[in-house]
Amino acid sequence: MTTLTRQDLNFGQVVADILCEFLEVAIHLILYVREVYPSGIFQKRKKYNVPVQMSCHPELNQYIQDTLHCVKPLIEKNDAEKVVVVIMDKEHHPVERFVFEISQPPLLSISSDTLLSHVEQLLRAFILKISVCDAVLNNNPPGCSFTVLVHTRDAATRNMEKVQVIKDFPWIVADEQEVHMQEPRLIPLKTMTSDIVKMQLYVEERAQKT
Amino acid sequence: QDEPNLSSDSDKKVILLPCKNPPSRERVNLWLEAKKQYECLQKCR
Repeated sequence: MTTLTRQDLNFGQVVADILCEFLEVAIHLILYVREVYPSGIFQKRKKYNVPVQMSCHPELNQYIQDTLHCVKPLIEKNDAEKVVVVIMDKEHHPVERFVFEISQPPLLSISSDTLLSHVEQLLRAFILKISVCDAVLNNNPPGCSFTVLVHTRDAATRNMEKVQVIKDFPWIVADEQEVHMQEPRLIPLKTMTSDIVKMQLYVEERAQKT
Repeated sequence: QDEPNLSSDSDKKVILLPCKNPPSRERVNLWLEAKKQYECLQKCR
């Protein structure tokens, strides 16, 4: 059994790897469940021991991977407060926001065996909640698109500069239109607390979607 | 006059998003149609 500590060089990397892998699955599933793309591009796969729908569209998959590659250095340094999947209408106004609120508790040490099995179990519950969330959400208008927002601190943006250049995937500061939502309805989906990460997922839904 | 507080400036919260957009639904639909035609041709061979 290996024991990791926060001081270990690769501890942040381990957490970021786990979370980015999870966020990739979650984004694919959100796009499928909320019908942002046609169901024909999705294929059933097994992740966290449950069936999920993953896109097989190369450009979309690359886009999601590039997005998460840029977010990863922030998660590694515990600088990503929220990662938000925003579904927007034709006018690029948000209609739904899937908010992943992330924090890493201070930790002295943990066994890697505990880490993997326990966290996987907790993440599975998130996936299951996302796959049934359409039951509690109203239908979206036709022609929706999506984007990913990351809430961080100004100083932390330095950590993602290098990867933006390598991936040729630049990021900009969001403007009011991309962030503001009128009278959102809040729907809590899932909360988890583990030794390495605390995360809660909720949806903010615009009251009037059409 | 007070000097600007650089540390609190650098600690300012920001919301970032990718400059590039994901593929549009129309673009994905075209790809899906082409994929179906290709698969159909493969079956017919």
